[in-house]
Amino acid sequence: MRLSDVPAAVVLAAAAAAALLADRVAAAAVVALLLLALCLRAPRSARRPYLLGALLPALGVLVLSPLLAVGGGRALWAGPLLPVLGPLDVTVPEVETAALNALRLAAVALAFAAYALLLDHDRLVSAAGLARRSALAVALATRLVPTLERDAAGLAEAARGRGIAVEGVRGRARLLSPLVAGSLERASSLAEAMEARGFGGAGATRAPRPSWTRLDAAAVAAAPVLVLAGALWL
Amino acid sequence: MALASIRGLTFSYPGEAPALQDVSLELRAGERVAVLGPSGSGKSTLLRALAGLVPHFHGGRFEGRVVVGGLDTRVARPAELARTVATVFQDPEEQVVMTRVANEVAFGLENAALPPHEIWPRIDEALAAVDALHLRDRRTAELSGGELQRVCLAAALAVRPRLLLLDEPTSQLDPAAADRFLACLARLDAAIVLSEQRVERALELADRVLFVQDGRVLLDAPRTGALSWLNRHRPDFVASHPRHASGSDPGSDVCRLDGVAFAYAGAPPVLAGASLAVRRGEVVALEGPNGSGKTTLAKLAAGLLEPDAGTVRRDGRAAYLSQDPGRYLLTERVLDEVALAAGEGRARAALARVGLAWAAERHPRDLSSGERERLGLAAVAATEPDLLVLDEPTRGIDPERKRALAAWLAEYAAAGHGVLVATHDRTFPAHRRVSLDREEARVAA
Repeated sequence: MRLSDVPAAVVLAAAAAAALLADRVAAAAVVALLLLALCLRAPRSARRPYLLGALLPALGVLVLSPLLAVGGGRALWAGPLLPVLGPLDVTVPEVETAALNALRLAAVALAFAAYALLLDHDRLVSAAGLARRSALAVALATRLVPTLERDAAGLAEAARGRGIAVEGVRGRARLLSPLVAGSLERASSLAEAMEARGFGGAGATRAPRPSWTRLDAAAVAAAPVLVLAGALWL
Repeated sequence: MALASIRGLTFSYPGEAPALQDVSLELRAGERVAVLGPSGSGKSTLLRALAGLVPHFHGGRFEGRVVVGGLDTRVARPAELARTVATVFQDPEEQVVMTRVANEVAFGLENAALPPHEIWPRIDEALAAVDALHLRDRRTAELSGGELQRVCLAAALAVRPRLLLLDEPTSQLDPAAADRFLACLARLDAAIVLSEQRVERALELADRVLFVQDGRVLLDAPRTGALSWLNRHRPDFVASHPRHASGSDPGSDVCRLDGVAFAYAGAPPVLAGASLAVRRGEVVALEGPNGSGKTTLAKLAAGLLEPDAGTVRRDGRAAYLSQDPGRYLLTERVLDEVALAAGEGRARAALARVGLAWAAERHPRDLSSGERERLGLAAVAATEPDLLVLDEPTRGIDPERKRALAAWLAEYAAAGHGVLVATHDRTFPAHRRVSLDREEARVAA
């Protein structure tokens, strides 16, 4: 039996919230690992950008924040004294705090990755009542993430094909403006196609969808409990 | 009574010269009209006027009157016309809204306020009409371009429009997918207006032909009369061309690939032991079915990819023009786009060669899709590489431009350069044709 998309989205949001509210490294780690396992069910090629986007920033927080934080406790490593930044010492409490924050960040990003990779966004849109347009905008933005990645690769290839080097931060920064312009143009074309298909007209109806199962109802009921657990016990 | 009528339509996009000038015509129910003309001639604008997108979506200056299904498009918005008129655009990726095929087809039906209990049967009916019922539960992101465009057609047909507008719907498709798409149209009852650069196929379908140039309708005639007009005035649109490029005196190898193998990360091998040589002075057409590795081999030849095995040797510099180059524009001025890697003097000459000298100061994204393709070609060719590699350069360009491109490539090769063209177009003139076999991914001369 499989969770329907709306209850699954609610559970993912609850898991992210629980990880954010958790105070223990182990608790945040368990939530992040469960979400990571969920993401690994998606096809390898599809999940790669999402996992990189989720895990690399978390790794950055884990590595950099102990170096920049100023706190007491047992020192693990005593680094040099740098202007402005001060001493680059790393202490046990700083590492614990960094690990907790990194895991919280990873959990939230992985929950979004699972949402983007595994759920049927169309059903979420159709389930949205008054906020259907907002839900559609979120669904479209999610659908266009892989397109954006493909456009970025295409731009880099077009530049290299003409003998223009695309190396380093400056080289890639040069592609940012055309990438944004291309995305806006794509969005405009899509808006035109949607208008041509009657979007925004009065009295839109909905295709009938299957009703929720008991498992779906139980999952939605369990979601607030998960958030409460994150706030009080984890 | 006419299904649609256009009276004295003159339209200009904001700040632009007129895209349509004094256009008048009528469309009758069930009629099949092919709209031909050079890129940037106003074909797309004409279709947008019939859909009400001009002027409602684009703004601009609108004179005259367009009435579709009894609704005046100056008053009725596109959403109101959507029950009568459906449009399929060039690029399926830029019109798909939903993530699942069935939901994509449902989108228009829901917007048209169809009673909920009628929606699912209508989805199945529309998908079946375009041989896509088996795709019903697939994700749209997983489909090929041809499959996705048929889904877009199903979404358009699901609302049972009386008028179907198709704006170069096969320009992003390979020939097999394009044939399959156009075959679906032959079975429809709705009136069809088809703007298309694959002229032969469009003429097979049409019983009436319009020829548009510089925003004016130069020809509006039944198919047979149109054929004789085209033969007299625009022979490139109907004449067959020699498959062999003129003049060839091949010299030394400018590029040689020996036994190359390549696989993308986490995917099965695309090429296994492929070999190919391109000599100075020749245009080589690299052919093969979808998935045979043409693009990969072209990128290996241009140095954009490194082979997993085998050797690639180049004598001099290579440049590569990707598929759909109009999407990958890097600057905000046409002249800058070409001068980026070539300098201003060469850039102006290259723009003149592709007929875009007039657009030097324009923003590249203000050009039509066909003009952008030519801009991409100018940007690559202006660098005067020893080896020029082009990936599907004839996709979406009009027959006159195609002939001009072939002539220029032959001339470029004759000047001592090598040219490699990866193409599905079996009529594209070349000095030598090689084909990639899908099974073994090897090149056979």
